[in-house]
Amino acid sequence: MSRRGARVLGAVVGLVAVCGVAAAHGGSLRDASGQELAVPTWLFLSTGGAVVGASFLLASFVTDRAFVAAVHEWHRHVPAPRRVLAWVGHAVGLAGLVFVLLTGFVGPTEPLRNGAIVLVWVGWWAVFAMSTYLVGNSWPAVNPFRTLTRPVAWVLDGRDVALPPGRASWASTAFLLTLVWFEVVSPLADEPRMLAAAALGYLALSVVGVVAVGHDQWFEEVDPLSRLFAMYGSVAPLQRTDDGLELRLPAMRLTDDVVTTNGGVAFVVALVWGTTYDGFVGTPAWASFARSVVDAGVPAPVLYPAALLVGFLGFHRLYWWAARKARDVAPTYTDAAVLARRFAPSLLAIAAGYHLAHYLVYALSLSPSLFGALLAPLDPPVARTLVLPSWLSGVGVAAVLLGHLLAIWVAHATAYDELPGRLQAIRSQYTLTLVMVFYTMTSLWIIGQPAAEPPFL
Amino acid sequence: MTDTTAPDDAPRCSYCGEPFPTERLRALHRGLEHHERLDDDEREAFEDAYHDESEDLRSFRLRALAVLVALYFGFLMTYAVVAV
Repeated sequence: MSRRGARVLGAVVGLVAVCGVAAAHGGSLRDASGQELAVPTWLFLSTGGAVVGASFLLASFVTDRAFVAAVHEWHRHVPAPRRVLAWVGHAVGLAGLVFVLLTGFVGPTEPLRNGAIVLVWVGWWAVFAMSTYLVGNSWPAVNPFRTLTRPVAWVLDGRDVALPPGRASWASTAFLLTLVWFEVVSPLADEPRMLAAAALGYLALSVVGVVAVGHDQWFEEVDPLSRLFAMYGSVAPLQRTDDGLELRLPAMRLTDDVVTTNGGVAFVVALVWGTTYDGFVGTPAWASFARSVVDAGVPAPVLYPAALLVGFLGFHRLYWWAARKARDVAPTYTDAAVLARRFAPSLLAIAAGYHLAHYLVYALSLSPSLFGALLAPLDPPVARTLVLPSWLSGVGVAAVLLGHLLAIWVAHATAYDELPGRLQAIRSQYTLTLVMVFYTMTSLWIIGQPAAEPPFL
Repeated sequence: MTDTTAPDDAPRCSYCGEPFPTERLRALHRGLEHHERLDDDEREAFEDAYHDESEDLRSFRLRALAVLVALYFGFLMTYAVVAV
């Protein structure tokens, strides 16, 4: 092999290694990963952007309508004892909540030995969330808040004050942003007592929600966690339909009407932005910005929610700009809102890819703590972490890439479904692809930054 | 659902009334959505539009390929120079 070839190969391997470390930091829960980049930041970022752009160009080579439709319509009926599964789900969910409350309030206070902390963050937020987009969304059955508030619904006896679906999804977006803010500014991942109290608080919120809008609407449209898992669940191969379970190709349900309101679009954008924000406040750039702003007289408690809101509005405007512009570029007279709703689900594949990239390594390395705390909740063994083979970080890179490729393909299939012209369908994705490139580069930039402790928390 | 801002003289589908920016897109729409109901003229218009579009797609593919090649070699060279 020539010297230049070897050098290029080295650079690519270096980039993959960087992505590996980087991707492992991309979800939630800031953990230290201050790695030096092997290539300049601008090149690292533009490579990531170019990969997304190039995959769009590659997808545009597939112009056979029948093939595109066949891929996204393929499905098989899966026989399953749904009633039994639902009862098992209820039991598991309730047992989990009782376990979290018990170990949270009376268990050891050391985070990695505490059953509540590891069950919530490793068992639920990492492993269970993965199952929702890799297998299927079982949260409606498992959700202990849903099971526990059922009697409230009986007392109310169908006295539902229905909220219009658009309003309900905006409310859900607001709740999701609040949850992200709360997760970032509070020590929920370190203090078991507070985590258990937060679980009780969430139960109280659910009761209020059920009283306000009714059991069905609260858990199907407003409750942010249910909506979050429903969104992740639409990436999964197993789907729940009226006639039972259905097997589809992964992410292909995203080409259906997963998002039906403008508020639903906002929720998807908030989901994507929430992941970004969580990483962003852990960068040195944020730390120095926050210090200078607080020095200028802005109170610190205002700063975090303000940044969350401003960033969300920025992402949201950018996405709508893409949808409006797509209407002119395609060209089409289809309403920009229709385009925005139909293309929004493709972003979910990206979000799922980032989640998997971060939490696969996290969950596997902390799995001994989880088992220890589950088997001996009140006196767990000393916390250990699993030493993982280095190729596992490659799975993370693959997940990020696969998420982007699926998103590009979903947008492609959706455009073919929505618009009559093949070239028109390709052109309608120009601006959306630009937004995806921007989002990838933003995420990669955050990932490439050395980790810093967010100030004023 | 379509926007009400479509101009009044925009070509509209004679079966469902949806407006289109060009005649060609209307012909394609009719062929895809109302294929069984088309008369011979409309069917011919659909086939012509489809062939025209295939021509345009071919030239689009060539340009896309050129961009891909440019991207690939651009990055190859950049990595060779910068990432020593």
